[in-house]
Amino acid sequence: MMPLVRLAMLSAWNRRFTLGLMLIAVALSTTLLLGIDRVRHEVRNGFTQSVSGTDLVVGARTSPVQLMLYAIFRLGGATNNISWSSAQKLSSNPAVAWTIPLSLGDSHRGFPVLATNDNYFKFFHYGDRRALRFAEGRHFQTVFETVLGSEVAERLHYKIGDRIVLSHGTSEMNLSDHADKPFTVIGILARTGTPVDKTAHISLEAMEAIHLDWEGGAPLPGMTIPPELVKKFDLTPKTVTAVLVGLKSRAGVFALQREIANEKSEPLMAVLPGVALDELWQVVGIGEKALLAVSAMVMAVGLAGLASSILASLGERRRELAVLRSVGARPADIFFLLSIEGFFVMLTGVLLGVVLLTASFFIFGPFLETRFGVAFRVTLPTIAEFQSLLWIVGAGFAVSLLPGFRAYRVSLSDGLSPRI
Amino acid sequence: MKKFIWIGAFALVGAAGAVAWSVSSQTDPDDGANPAIASSAPDSAQPAKNADFKIGDRLQQATSAKEVSPITASEQIVYRELLWDDLMPSDWDPMAPFKGMKLEKLKDGDPRAMDALNKAREYWKNAPVESKLNGIAIKIPGFVVSLEREGDDLKEFLLVPFFGGCIHVPPPPSNQIIHVNSAKAVQGIRTMDAVWVSGVLEVNRSETGMGVAGYALAADKIEIYKPPAATR
Amino acid sequence: MSDAAIEITDVSFSWPKHLSPTLEMQYFRAKPQDQVFVSGPSGSGKSTFLGLLAGIVVPQSGSVAILGTAIQTLSVSERDRFRVDHIGIIFQQFNLIPYLSILENVLLPCRFSFYRRERALSQGASLQAAAESLLNSLDLSPSLWSRPATQLSIGQQQRVAAARALIGRPEIIIADEPTSALDADRQQGFLDLMQRECEQARSTLIFVSHDQRLAARFSRRIALGERECAVIDSEQS
Repeated sequence: MMPLVRLAMLSAWNRRFTLGLMLIAVALSTTLLLGIDRVRHEVRNGFTQSVSGTDLVVGARTSPVQLMLYAIFRLGGATNNISWSSAQKLSSNPAVAWTIPLSLGDSHRGFPVLATNDNYFKFFHYGDRRALRFAEGRHFQTVFETVLGSEVAERLHYKIGDRIVLSHGTSEMNLSDHADKPFTVIGILARTGTPVDKTAHISLEAMEAIHLDWEGGAPLPGMTIPPELVKKFDLTPKTVTAVLVGLKSRAGVFALQREIANEKSEPLMAVLPGVALDELWQVVGIGEKALLAVSAMVMAVGLAGLASSILASLGERRRELAVLRSVGARPADIFFLLSIEGFFVMLTGVLLGVVLLTASFFIFGPFLETRFGVAFRVTLPTIAEFQSLLWIVGAGFAVSLLPGFRAYRVSLSDGLSPRI
Repeated sequence: MKKFIWIGAFALVGAAGAVAWSVSSQTDPDDGANPAIASSAPDSAQPAKNADFKIGDRLQQATSAKEVSPITASEQIVYRELLWDDLMPSDWDPMAPFKGMKLEKLKDGDPRAMDALNKAREYWKNAPVESKLNGIAIKIPGFVVSLEREGDDLKEFLLVPFFGGCIHVPPPPSNQIIHVNSAKAVQGIRTMDAVWVSGVLEVNRSETGMGVAGYALAADKIEIYKPPAATR
Repeated sequence: MSDAAIEITDVSFSWPKHLSPTLEMQYFRAKPQDQVFVSGPSGSGKSTFLGLLAGIVVPQSGSVAILGTAIQTLSVSERDRFRVDHIGIIFQQFNLIPYLSILENVLLPCRFSFYRRERALSQGASLQAAAESLLNSLDLSPSLWSRPATQLSIGQQQRVAAARALIGRPEIIIADEPTSALDADRQQGFLDLMQRECEQARSTLIFVSHDQRLAARFSRRIALGERECAVIDSEQS
């Protein structure tokens, strides 16, 4: 065997340019296949990690997925709010253990601003039932105080005591600022790996306060209420965007959900986060499958290219094969020679693909994480990935048998006088 | 030469197929071809999938709980297969609020029908539990409503007796919901998937008189639902 | 007669798609250390003849006995083994494996045949030494030895091919028009070397060529005819 393997390697090295191109093709398609699968899992993880221990998310009657996306992931926009009285009715419902009212709409330099109350810091959980922790400082007590998520503080280099100005609306262009009412940073949360990190938190009263002299989305000309005087006004919020609800008994979720849906005074909707996420994943799953099918196709093309390039080289190697036959190589040896070449390129290509993937995650991971909020961890291949890799290599092996077989037949029929 | 074209074509199709299969067996966890979930009796039929159920469908079990011989799962524990009816105390009738009403005689949209339904909902919310079942190791099939998950791992869910229970039909009475916790997360299970759950049942009496008592279960084993074999 | 190196009896061979036999031979015998010149116009079955001798092809009828063994009865792999053990082959051109060095090319048969390997080790202290001494006697200087095969001239390549055929002293050397690609003045020189080495190794040489000028150097000559497929053997005349 050994001389044959060595011969195959030397022969492959002799044609390293063509084979190198094939190697890159195989490597890239492996990276694509594995990469898509990994991204899929990381995105899914990112979403499911964002909320935990919340039984219902209550909001205006839009679509469940949209409400989840907006309230939990701060993506997209809410079209309607719910009234404060409905929120209060919820918190006094005997089946309810706690509620967290949420109000969104403003932003600070691209980061969303969330108005809520103390319950947020007490009852909000994420990941595996983890509570929010303060890296520094405390939660808000007076009106113009804000608690920042870890990423907001890190990227904008804020520390306790800094003063920031919030902007109306969620676009990155700061068209309308609440410049007359700056906020003081009094707390910074520890990193969670969820949308909490990129949120700036204020109290519900503060949200009311900065919109006191606004009407219809713009400040009323000539009317300004200085910050010291805001307390004179009633700062109870009128509406909130959504309410997170925790129940005393999780099994009672259906009954409450139905109650809320049948509420006559206002069109409300209660969403089970787990179910909404599953629904989201059903829809996304179709796209995922399509992407994976495309990658599999790309891999098949890579394999076909590999086989055809080795097959093509057969033509110029007929002389070489005849010489080998004359010095004692059997047809089976010829078969082996060409098959091992294809297999070896395949194996190397797959390994290179895995290396490329790891390197890409290493280099681009942090950038993608800040941009899309999804963590791309650099890890060794999992068991499942390993299985797929083995299948790919196996497929490559099967495909590389084809040139081997052709060479076998050719060497038999050519004998000592190949038809060049 | 033509021979080689055929062989080549087959090899490539086979190769592409192999790659596609390996990839799809990861994205299609509903197929049950997943190492994290054991499969039940080898002589049973095809695993049931979401698409096979209509709203209101219930899962097939052996005809009567008394006829079922205990199924030995792990080393010593014997799980008793329960029917959902067994979870309701024998003296509690879910249809009691409708007794005496002749629903066929009412006109469409009659407020008395809605009234009765609302009363029924209250009645079901305060459904009593069968405390004799506390601490019993049981096995029961049902539909999943996801509560807590981490990526593909599902750790906590509600088990309900019929399909579509949280969306279109009235919610089940509280003694027909089991709050399941699994120490070992399962993969590939989504809302409204049908599963067999085995574990020790815990009965919680309500404390504050607001009426939502219920069943909880720490799951030892969670398996994809397959209808029981026809003969035994 | 079992002391014949090669003995062909009543052989008839036709290629699969041909209607009439390409080669028919009633009788041919070569003794050990014979040097036979084989000629004939193209299409007369020279390649077929070599194929039969080397065991690449098997006649439809008749017997081909090499060193007493009737090789037409052997299986494909047995014939392959037999070939590398006992026969060295030189082609007209493109003899060498381009991605191997000269020394590696020469030692190729020793990789595939244990028998040749052992006999080569008797020619020198190591395989490498045996190869080097052969290359020396074939007029190839040491500076060439580690060069890749593609960097040599045709004449040098042919001599390397000769060394490869001769390593391990196989009993039979088959040369298929080895000088046809060389210049006229080099042809004689190559032939000198070949014949001298074959004598030293006591091998039987079958030399195929269309160049009649070289025929004079051989004591035995056979000519393969085109129509009659008969053999004219100088030994019998």
